[in-house]
Amino acid sequence: MLTRDRLGAFVAVLFGTAVVALTLTLLASAKPRVPDRYAATVVAVRNPGVTTPADPFPESRPWPSTEAAALAARLAAIPGVTAAVPDRRFYAQPVIDGRPVVTVEEAHGWASATLASDRLVAGRPARSDHEAVLSRRWGVPVGATVTILTATGPARWSVAGLIDAQRLYVSDSTAARLAPGVRMIGLTGHPDLAGVRAAAAGATVLHGASLGGLEPRADARTRWVGLQVLSAMAALSAFACVFVIASTAALTVHQRRREIGLLRATGATPRQVRRTVTRQAAIIGAVAGLAGTVLGLLVAPLIGRVLVDAGFEPASFAVGVHLWPVLAGLLAGPLVAVAGSLAAARRAAKVGPLEALRQAELETRPMSRSRWAVGLFFTAAGVVAGLATTMTEDLSDLGTFALVGAMALVVGATALAPAAVPLLVRALLRPARGPIGMVMRESALAGARRTASTAAPVLLTVAFAVFIAGNVQTSTEAYAGRRAEAARAGSVLVPDGTPGLGDAAAPTAPLQTVLYLNDTAVDAVGVDPAATSGPGPTRALTAPQTVVVSESWAARLQIGLDDTMTVTFADGLPTTLRVVGVAPQAVLPADLVVGRSTVREHDASALASALPLPRGTTAVHPLGARVVDVQAYARQADAEDDRLVWIFTMLLIGVSVGYGALAVANTLFMATARRAPDYRLLRLAGATPRQVLLAVAGESAVVVAVGATLGGVAAILALWGSAEGLRAQTGNAVALTVPWPTAAIAVSTCLLLALAASVLPARARLTRFEPAQDLS
Amino acid sequence: MTTPMVSLRDLRKEYRTGSDLVTALDRVTVDLPAGTFTAVMGPSGSGKSTLLHCAAGLDRPTSGEVVLDGVALTRLDETGLTVLRRERVGFVFQAYNLISSLTAGQNIALPARLAGRRVDPAELDAALAQVGLADRARHRPVQLSGGQQQRVAIARALVTTPAVLFADEPTGALDGQTSRQVLALLRGLVDERGQTIVMVTHDPVAAAVADQVLLLADGRLIDRLDSASAESIATRMAAVEATC
Repeated sequence: MLTRDRLGAFVAVLFGTAVVALTLTLLASAKPRVPDRYAATVVAVRNPGVTTPADPFPESRPWPSTEAAALAARLAAIPGVTAAVPDRRFYAQPVIDGRPVVTVEEAHGWASATLASDRLVAGRPARSDHEAVLSRRWGVPVGATVTILTATGPARWSVAGLIDAQRLYVSDSTAARLAPGVRMIGLTGHPDLAGVRAAAAGATVLHGASLGGLEPRADARTRWVGLQVLSAMAALSAFACVFVIASTAALTVHQRRREIGLLRATGATPRQVRRTVTRQAAIIGAVAGLAGTVLGLLVAPLIGRVLVDAGFEPASFAVGVHLWPVLAGLLAGPLVAVAGSLAAARRAAKVGPLEALRQAELETRPMSRSRWAVGLFFTAAGVVAGLATTMTEDLSDLGTFALVGAMALVVGATALAPAAVPLLVRALLRPARGPIGMVMRESALAGARRTASTAAPVLLTVAFAVFIAGNVQTSTEAYAGRRAEAARAGSVLVPDGTPGLGDAAAPTAPLQTVLYLNDTAVDAVGVDPAATSGPGPTRALTAPQTVVVSESWAARLQIGLDDTMTVTFADGLPTTLRVVGVAPQAVLPADLVVGRSTVREHDASALASALPLPRGTTAVHPLGARVVDVQAYARQADAEDDRLVWIFTMLLIGVSVGYGALAVANTLFMATARRAPDYRLLRLAGATPRQVLLAVAGESAVVVAVGATLGGVAAILALWGSAEGLRAQTGNAVALTVPWPTAAIAVSTCLLLALAASVLPARARLTRFEPAQDLS
Repeated sequence: MTTPMVSLRDLRKEYRTGSDLVTALDRVTVDLPAGTFTAVMGPSGSGKSTLLHCAAGLDRPTSGEVVLDGVALTRLDETGLTVLRRERVGFVFQAYNLISSLTAGQNIALPARLAGRRVDPAELDAALAQVGLADRARHRPVQLSGGQQQRVAIARALVTTPAVLFADEPTGALDGQTSRQVLALLRGLVDERGQTIVMVTHDPVAAAVADQVLLLADGRLIDRLDSASAESIATRMAAVEATC
């Protein structure tokens, strides 16, 4: 039952549903996990989420101290609430054996111990300033002193008590001083939810499953990256699957025209023919979908591990079997198969009964009006999607538009291919003068539609290989541009085991913080106005409560020089700042720049990411930092990014190119098998077997060349759109990079597969038949 | 005067090859009475196959009207034409056009099944018996001789009891004896069952079996011979070919 024609479609659907089932299972498994330190929290209350375009996971806006206290009091009064704890945290790291403990990056007020149900195993809770509760695993006994690194620098604290878990607590008064802003109030006990919601008056209430929202922002960000990777894989896979089935079905219908015509002459209506095609596709889709879903579920844990190793999913990620991915996989099979075969079914229905009588394969009109319409529409859509990338600020939207644009361009190029085939074939085969060249040229021209259908998988493969590789390269350079600008000095002070540099290590380094403007969180930087290496407009920040704004934000907020704006810092207090400068974004380190002292005043956890050192500075290593050469720093950051990017690229290219390669081999095999009568005619006309094989190889090469050219053009158009979008988003001059090595590899792979799939079977067939036999 | 079974009025068929306009049929008007055996002859390229295709609803004329068994074909869409063909037209091609993966019995039953009707085995056996192949129901085309395949094709064309049976060079690929058998079969259908048959042929001997012979040249109907002998037909054809 599974003839050669259907095998290609079967395998395509099999792998397509496998990838869909696999990615959906991984997506369903990627649930946020409540961190251990909030293990006892039953309900959490915090401010409604803020949005920020470039970072999908900003911290929620903090409440100022008094407001938090009032709210906590109200919540504590609700029946069922054992304790309502305002959770205060700030940057702190204990230093054990001279090195900061890497697993701990924040300290909480002792009241938050209730939220984790942390109990003392020795000593007493911290009560006064410079008293801390440590983990007993660090080997520091009660009563001893320990160095704790905060944003202001290292200091000696005394150990008041010990707990089992690896966490750090300070007294509530210290926490209130260093972290006045409260981002979350946790409730323990069995609170009445309706009462909580009423008392919270508009704040977000997390409960049960939604407590996962308490996970660290970094983990959420990692999961988001994983989401992007998985969705891109699923989307690419579904698209490639439909595409491969469509081109295989088109070729099959084209090659079986005579049989379809015979069916029509025997009395099959166009509708019956169309339904036969789609019914066959649905059956193949159902069977292959079942097999593919099973395969996908089996492979999911392996891929999950790869994602965790690569850093695309947090370490807490675990793969489980969920119902809806299985259903989706089972449904996807027939759906994808039928969708891919719709166009071919329509064409099959248009075959007239007299096709059964036609001997020659002569196409009258390779491009119908509807094909022109489809081709131009999708090409236009692809270009529009490319332009849309310039108008969006959301990072994930940019990726989506770019990918959708690439897909649309691939479809458009495939639809318009028969129109391009004559031009390309004439250009490519102009130097071929001998009889074989003539045969190749004329047969490619006469069968423009057939050539286009056979070239379609090559188009897909080359287009996506080039697009993905080029996109990744372009975006890497776009984001690297900023970093390269920042590190111009000969050496750089970077954090070592700490999340950033404090005041002691780098007293003049710019501090990173977040400002809240209405519902938006904006990354801001506090610079030292006296630093001569800073940009000009920041010199005016010597006055307190002043800010320098980037031009795009000034336009967005409709403010200018000497206007005021109200922002909220990390302590939750609204502060009015006066604009003392407006500058282009390329000059400023962030969209909002304030004075360093202003940041330190309001945010006790703000740290600096790096401090370029002027030449000739002696290598002094303060606690928690080290001096590295600029090159080494850039390389360190790049190496990690490169690894992530490389794995991401490989996953996506693997999916799309894997499909494409499969389709290339299958299509060339099918096409060559059906052209056997033509090749036998060539033999009868006097060609030697070697000349016939040369013609076969030449035609395959022409097909690959046509597909590669069209695919390359589609990819470059898509890359241009993506580059424009990145340029608009990052403000850097982003050049369109064409990944020539990847392109060369993709084209060579297609060529090798095409030649193997066409020449080898042709050779086998030629050695079996003699010309005289064919005359009978 | 009874209404004709097939009526062609001012039939024109043109098609383009590249930049040329080829006129396959040029204003052909003819009536074919019911229960008669008509042969259509002419040199190659005279349009006889095109005439057959248009009359049977397999092709659409560029202009003109075709009325078959009271139905105006030119007003029907593709589905309507297909349904009409299924119910009222039988067509036999020169190259037998049986589906090679189906048995003789399955091939014969196919049109009825496409129409949604089940063919009961008795009907199938009767159809095969009619063409003298009662014991070949389970054989595939590759196991049958040329003449046997042609007879299976005729049986398939007859199983729907069509109003008109069209045959395009049915004996073209057969040897002399087998040709005679097939022609006798067709003649019998007209004589015993009143079947209307229209047959394209280039063989004067085959044409002599018919009640009337239509001569086409360059897409035009140029002559009509009633109950002529093979010799007179051959002479007339030779004259036509000489002037073409």
